[in-house]
Amino acid sequence: MTYTSFLKSELLVLWRRKQDVVNAVLFFILVVALFPIGVNSSPEFLSPASGGIIWCAAVLAILMAIEGAFKEDYLDGSLEQLVVSGLSLPLLMLLKVAALWASVVIPLLLVMPLLSEMLSLPSGAFWVLIMTLLVGTPCLFFIGIIGSALTASLKQSAMLVMLLILPFYFPIIIFATSAVQAAQVGLPYSGLLAMLLAMSLLSLVVSPFMTAIAIKASVN
Amino acid sequence: MHSYVSLTISDLWIERDERDLCKGLSFEVHSGDVLRVLGENGAGKSSLLKVIAGVITPLEGQIHYSGKDVTQDRSLLQENTLYIGHFAGVKRLLTVEENLRWYCPTVLSSELECTLTHLGLLSFLDSPVQTLSAGQVRRVALARLWLSKKALWLLDEPFASLDDKGIVILEDHIRQHVSLGGLVVLTTHQNLRSISSRDVVLSL
Repeated sequence: MTYTSFLKSELLVLWRRKQDVVNAVLFFILVVALFPIGVNSSPEFLSPASGGIIWCAAVLAILMAIEGAFKEDYLDGSLEQLVVSGLSLPLLMLLKVAALWASVVIPLLLVMPLLSEMLSLPSGAFWVLIMTLLVGTPCLFFIGIIGSALTASLKQSAMLVMLLILPFYFPIIIFATSAVQAAQVGLPYSGLLAMLLAMSLLSLVVSPFMTAIAIKASVN
Repeated sequence: MHSYVSLTISDLWIERDERDLCKGLSFEVHSGDVLRVLGENGAGKSSLLKVIAGVITPLEGQIHYSGKDVTQDRSLLQENTLYIGHFAGVKRLLTVEENLRWYCPTVLSSELECTLTHLGLLSFLDSPVQTLSAGQVRRVALARLWLSKKALWLLDEPFASLDDKGIVILEDHIRQHVSLGGLVVLTTHQNLRSISSRDVVLSL
């Protein structure tokens, strides 16, 4: 096994499981669509809340996609094979997160123009929203993958993963939605984006090692 | 031909779910040996293989591979070991070829086809593994034995789900591997006939 063959197999599996990504994106669109339909359809309400609505929906969609990231690998024994492969387990986890992130976030970004229009998001804030998603969502994946690895050997673990990792998502949601709101009212937002980037970079350094430890605990 | 290898286990003690397994177990095997670990269900056969492979950590004991202590750092052992656990490590969404290229990315297509022909799987080369029977999935996992060049094989119940023909093919290949200086540790709860003249039996 090599790092390249691992990444290739991960991408192939994600491609074969594209229905999962479609489900996550549909879920994301539906959650966002609930607000203008069920709460208030006026631009006065939707426009200031749009950053928060999109980010909360994105967090839920990402949780949905990441929760079972290791389930099948655990059940078919390929997780054990990663542990005994002699390759760096943290680096393998980094590749897995990268593949997972690309497979979920790129489709989310593609539907963003439609949703921002639906939520009356000003065009200036739209690009800030895209930037928050680009620099903030890696952190969501890096944190989420730890919870997913910890619960790989458990049945019915979706709620447990949510309870474990959702509290760690709060600061990211706060910084991301604050950046979008700041852009909407003309305040500087670069500091908030820098915070998001810092959190993603910190999680990039820490998470692969913690995930590797969690994987070893799960297969033990 | 493999260079000389040896595996030495000393004073092993494994704890699983608050149960002591293999307490005080010691053995030594060398190139050319086939170590058959026998025992009832739950005796610790799979745990022993997992400890050697580095999947789980023992409470106590030392592991030496070719004279080097690998108890703490298994990288040397893992570089030279092919471990096929009870769960085959075969991804059901990938095809047979994709699964084998995941483990052995540098393998030539001719070599792959030759192996799959030998195992009766060539016509399933592009089939998703989820469409295969349990015995065929086992054969896909075992195909790695033909494609890998590693000296030490750790095989957990390798004959499970195989038909008689599959068992004969695998036994022949194990014989060939040890004749080339390889070393095989396998678990079985079946009391099968000897595989090679240097069969070593360990009962747990």
